[in-house]
Amino acid sequence: MLTRRSLLRGSAAAGAAGTALLAGLNGARAQAEGDPIPVGAALPMSGIAAADGIEFQNGLTMAVDEINAAGGVLGRPLELHVEDTADMGADLVSQAMQRLIDRYEAPVIINGYNSGTNMVEMDVAADNDVIFCHYNTMISHNNKFKEDPERYYGCFQGDPPEYYYGPGLLTYLNTLIESGQWTPPNRKLALIPSANEYSIVIANAVRDQAAEYGWEISLYETVQFPNNQWGPTLAKLRQDPPAVIAVTHFLPQDLAQFMVQFAPQPMNSLIYMQYGPSLPAFKEIGGDAVKGVLYSTVVGCLPDEFSEAFRSSYRERFGENSSYLTGSQTYDGLWKWALAAAIAGGPGAPFDREQAMKVAASMNRLIYRGVNGICRFDPEGQSAFCYPTQIADASLGMPHQFLQHQDVAADPVMVAPGSYAKAPFMMPPWMS
Amino acid sequence: MTDASLPAAAPAPRRGIATDLAVGALLLALAIAAPFLIDSRYVLGQIVLALFWASVAAQWNLLFGYAGVFSLAQMAIFAVGGYATAMLAQYLELSIWAAIPLGALIAVVFSVIVGLACLRLQGVYVALLTLAIAQVLYLLIVTDTACFRMEGTSCRQFTGGATGFARFGDFGMRQLLRGDWMMGNYAIVLCGFVLTMVMSWVIIRSPMGLAFKALRDNPAYAVARGVNRFHTQLLVFALSAFFTGLTGGLYAAHFQAIGPGLFSLSQLLFVIAIAVVGGVGTFWGPVVGAIVLMLADEFMREAGEFRTLGLGLIIAAVTVLLPRGLVGKAADLFRRRP
Repeated sequence: MLTRRSLLRGSAAAGAAGTALLAGLNGARAQAEGDPIPVGAALPMSGIAAADGIEFQNGLTMAVDEINAAGGVLGRPLELHVEDTADMGADLVSQAMQRLIDRYEAPVIINGYNSGTNMVEMDVAADNDVIFCHYNTMISHNNKFKEDPERYYGCFQGDPPEYYYGPGLLTYLNTLIESGQWTPPNRKLALIPSANEYSIVIANAVRDQAAEYGWEISLYETVQFPNNQWGPTLAKLRQDPPAVIAVTHFLPQDLAQFMVQFAPQPMNSLIYMQYGPSLPAFKEIGGDAVKGVLYSTVVGCLPDEFSEAFRSSYRERFGENSSYLTGSQTYDGLWKWALAAAIAGGPGAPFDREQAMKVAASMNRLIYRGVNGICRFDPEGQSAFCYPTQIADASLGMPHQFLQHQDVAADPVMVAPGSYAKAPFMMPPWMS
Repeated sequence: MTDASLPAAAPAPRRGIATDLAVGALLLALAIAAPFLIDSRYVLGQIVLALFWASVAAQWNLLFGYAGVFSLAQMAIFAVGGYATAMLAQYLELSIWAAIPLGALIAVVFSVIVGLACLRLQGVYVALLTLAIAQVLYLLIVTDTACFRMEGTSCRQFTGGATGFARFGDFGMRQLLRGDWMMGNYAIVLCGFVLTMVMSWVIIRSPMGLAFKALRDNPAYAVARGVNRFHTQLLVFALSAFFTGLTGGLYAAHFQAIGPGLFSLSQLLFVIAIAVVGGVGTFWGPVVGAIVLMLADEFMREAGEFRTLGLGLIIAAVTVLLPRGLVGKAADLFRRRP
């Protein structure tokens, strides 16, 4: 069982910066013995995203235990309540959030991602004056916030929006060229999204800015979701081999199949993929064929010393196959809110606009170094700043991480951004 | 087809009309009282959702339960109504109040096109073709990646693409009633639902409704009596689509969002399950089905992964044990009384 003393000892090793700060703010209230603070989470616990929903819940559970061991928020322990958003969508997610508020009187809701909502969650938060932090990774959050900052004052996106995948990838490719690490055979880029929102939004972000960065889109091929028959797509690619193939479809088994089918007749093209390569199934199915594949994420637990204790504790608690990359998101989100609420003098309650605004102001002021890197909110859209695409200072933005599978027997290696990189970019075996 | 070609309506059983009026009045009284008895936005929101699904299921029931057309394009028509409302409000800057009925008319046009394509077929082939059309529509929307116009830093596709539409307007109740906006939305959705049910009742009880039922029960005999199968079924497609599209527009305005997720098979199956559990071919079946399944879903919220299994078991049990659904079974029990 976690105690305050053991937690502080453990967190010193873990580098969980928030623990000491929270314990300091709690002062004499060393034990979390006051009225519990209900913390809500509307997560996809069943349906196609259930695996991620479970990890989001794990991250929250871990954060709740650690925060409570540090004295809770001003002596009040946190109590987690999860509502299932199943297949997601505007109706299910908004109703799940409303239930958390009506039934448990949660002053805060920390979600992972929910797709197909068009950010309707922000209206639920605004209507009830609660703090809402999520990881939908959507530029529509920023756009909606900009329309009425007074109404959506309590809505935060804990990571940068997906928009930055576009300029982020293009900037990284140009950096590879400028640094002499790669000489492309041409300036053509092929985009392969699948028929789903996440995949298409990212592909569009790359497409819309390619010309600005000196790239030409030679192929934009939308495939079925899911899809493991890549023959027709590969045939088109082989007719006009591009310098870069960016597959924004994200299912690991399908992406592994792409590499398996690509390997017998490879092209002189860098291969960039989305999300799937971060999951164990990608390597298990793809085997040696995945060596050299690049991928990136704008949010995920960093493979650094600071996050080491979190990673090991997470796997120890939730199993070797658990994905701390996903759980880390809600973990950081809850920690940041707890600190902000303690600084603001308490979490407030639904419809307590005055206190909710104090907590929101505190969230905006607080620059939090979590296991995913720095979380500092951009006042223009109340999403985390993206480093290096949006902000050049590594201490003020969440790193857009580029990773590469360099050794199939080991974890993927971070190759960018520079200040976080663990190894240089490796030329994929099919190109060397 | 003209009214003259429809068979004359049999005199409606007075007891049936009286029962329908009594049940309708009771349900309406309960529905009007609900927002004054319930102070939870969540519960009121769940009732709004139940009204949406009951309305869509009632229109599917009109199509399949009364006219015998096994269409699987119901959620697609609902989505077309919602999308049309959102697009009219967003692109033409129409008031949401004008966009909703226009959206319903666009759903009718879509439905008539679907009807023209598939009503020359019968039975399972109608189901297959309507499902295929719905899936094609879904794929056309999610794979629409061409930039129609820029909104800030984002590219907006004409159909909304994989993200759909948001922020195109709402009922205006947030500004008008502030904290009580849900009550205002509830009242509007309830009016839409009542309109839908009343019109369905009138259609079912009219000579047109008799023609629908005749084609369902004995197509050869109905045709021999002068009922034009194609025209009659096209008519029911259009009528059902108007109210389904209207409900889609109300849904879009209530949630201020609409997206391609509405085309999902699970959503379609849920609507069909509502009709099946309540009783296909019974007027109150979709209402009872919506109440039962929404309540069951609510009570099983804490059951985690068993929630879906539980719903499946209820649907399977009703299908096997009560093939005419809850309302059908209740009607059978009353009929047995001496």
